[in-house]
Amino acid sequence: MATAKDADRVRPALTLTKEELEVEVPEPRLNWMNQWREWGVRVRPGKKGLTLGSLNVGLYGEIPMNWPDRSRNPRGAIGVTGTPPVAIQIKDKVDLWAPCAADLYEEAIQRRWAPATDVDWKAIHPLPEDIERAICQVCTEICQYAIIDVEVITSWQHQMAYGYHEVKQFLATTSLDATRRHEAFRKRALVNGGGLGYEGPCQVSRLLLESSSGWTETVTGLILIRALFTQVMIRYLNRFAYNGVERKIYECVTQDFARLITYGVEHIKYALAHAPDKQGSILTTLAIGFRMFNRDLRDPVLREALAIVFGGGIAGARNEGMLVFYEMLDEYVQELLDACQYLRLPVTIEQLPRVFQKDQRHSADS
Amino acid sequence: MDQQTQNGAEFELDLGWMEKQGEWGTHAEPSKNGLTLADIQVGSYAETPEESRNLSGRPRGAVPRPGSMPIGNYTVRTKSEIWLENASFLYEEALQRQWSSATDIPWDTIEPLPDDVEQAQCQMATFLTEVEFVAGDVPSRWVSKTSPDFYEARNVLMAQVMDESRHMDVFRKRALVNGGGLMRATGATAGFVGGIDLARDFTEMSSRLHLSGEGAVLTIFRMGELMAYNDAEKAIYRLCAQDEARHVAFGVMHMRYMAANAPERREEIESYLDEAEAGMLTDAANPAGQLNQTSESLSIMLGGGRKYFDEGFRKLVSIRKRQLQEYQKRVTSAGFGDRFKNGRSRLGHMMANVAN
Ligand SMILES: [Fe+2]
Ligand SMILES: [Fe+2]
Repeated sequence: MATAKDADRVRPALTLTKEELEVEVPEPRLNWMNQWREWGVRVRPGKKGLTLGSLNVGLYGEIPMNWPDRSRNPRGAIGVTGTPPVAIQIKDKVDLWAPCAADLYEEAIQRRWAPATDVDWKAIHPLPEDIERAICQVCTEICQYAIIDVEVITSWQHQMAYGYHEVKQFLATTSLDATRRHEAFRKRALVNGGGLGYEGPCQVSRLLLESSSGWTETVTGLILIRALFTQVMIRYLNRFAYNGVERKIYECVTQDFARLITYGVEHIKYALAHAPDKQGSILTTLAIGFRMFNRDLRDPVLREALAIVFGGGIAGARNEGMLVFYEMLDEYVQELLDACQYLRLPVTIEQLPRVFQKDQRHSADS
Repeated sequence: MDQQTQNGAEFELDLGWMEKQGEWGTHAEPSKNGLTLADIQVGSYAETPEESRNLSGRPRGAVPRPGSMPIGNYTVRTKSEIWLENASFLYEEALQRQWSSATDIPWDTIEPLPDDVEQAQCQMATFLTEVEFVAGDVPSRWVSKTSPDFYEARNVLMAQVMDESRHMDVFRKRALVNGGGLMRATGATAGFVGGIDLARDFTEMSSRLHLSGEGAVLTIFRMGELMAYNDAEKAIYRLCAQDEARHVAFGVMHMRYMAANAPERREEIESYLDEAEAGMLTDAANPAGQLNQTSESLSIMLGGGRKYFDEGFRKLVSIRKRQLQEYQKRVTSAGFGDRFKNGRSRLGHMMANVAN
């Protein structure tokens, strides 16, 4: 066993002045010593190092269904009482929990990236103007989504009880991911002779920012509508990427989204398992969300820009590009329905606005 | 929906948006650190408005859509309220220097410590877990209220939120790795008037959090070698100090910008500093402050055990002095150094009382 004196020897000395050496030292009270709820914990690092989830042993792993304490007492510590509370609104585990949060948190850190240096920006080359304009327009809209994602997540994080720190910590990674997403797509828009485009429509964003009454409902819109759609869109953009710069960005962003979507889906699953009556508000949020999404999709800008990217230019956009756009939309709808099935949410394609229904699409909106 | 018949005819395109794009012909060039935020400050994309009218989350420089709704909940829409000159640099540095508490700390180097030292480490870890919570949540809340026209500043704050999250977990890990556990919380960051949570103004919050709160913690982390008993603890303090230095720099640089660009708010800022100074040694958020729970555990860590408490306490007094000196340097660098000459600052008085 290392002794305190051994340890002392390896510590550099702090040279004290004569005055400091003569400081009168008060008798310590030491009333904080031997104060704990559980002592003797020795978590050892595993294959992935010393992870957040591995700390959940004994009493420290007890995560109650309700955390009424509105202070910053760490879970497992002896809490102080009698201090003015902070603005915590979410105090029930069912309102934020996903069992995978701690693992996703560590994964986010392991897979961190930096757009400045992980993308080989020098590998970009000039593109035909219609394609560059289309890509810049898509970048602009993805930037705007990312800006809104940051605002949505950060407006909730501080409202969550400290007893559920794993979720709060994971959310910190997701808002940094969204920050980086904005950064990466902004950089792409400004690097190749283009610029930013036209502001995107705001109905889904409005739903996300304004559904401030429940995190689970916010997650429903954020994940099942915004994130899942963006993820599929990025998958298609990757398939039709024009250079390694874009491919690298798409690959990194896809990983980031995968974690966010996993948290979201697993949270909804947890919420439904422990509070089945939440199903009603989740379904209503989805129904409203799809109406909003439908309104956003009536705007031609994103659709046409994507069609140009997929079709290799304006000419190709008029047939092949637009067909790929709808194929992409169908793929999104399928993934949404798969997620709903996994969550046992009774959502069928017939309930969605017609633009999302392959068979009904072209009679829609006439 | 565009009109397309089922028989394979072409889709009609509107393409009107192609005429409504932002400044065109931008060629941002990567520099030696890759393509940084500083490198994309090109042409009109480098321009930040003094007052932001962006209420819909539009990326700065994109062309506004006339029908967009004011969905952003932005209370920070004046540049001087949040701006700093080196945000791009701080953000890029933060991304380059992210680390993992799971794998970048040599946890295996921790060996059992004498009980009094382990208790002191665990008490300090408990306290730090608690204060890292506030340092993450409050900036996060402010980001949601800041116009994206000031995205560079938002980005630095977002990186801070991530850093604090990691600090929170590294101290929790330290408490649970070596035969100890969490101890008693201090309540240092409760919702007190004058606390970090309750500030209505960003600069007020920043003066409390970045300048005085994190400034004090940074001094301690920098002395980490003195209170570390193994390479793991040394790494924790060193890496946390690196992060905290950026957070403190944000506060200093923001205040400097404010001093230069909003002279009408000078007096207000002086009063935030008055308040910060008044609490610097008494406030429980300073681990080297007068709260015995933290000051005694630090003294034990610094001294090398309960038996060497006196030696540790004297080192603590010396650290308090450093905290005050470093605070003075930061405030001077922010452009408010006059207060140390004109008698407004209480620092001289505090310096004489560091041993109390
Ligand atoms: Fe911190
Ligand atoms: Fe910090």
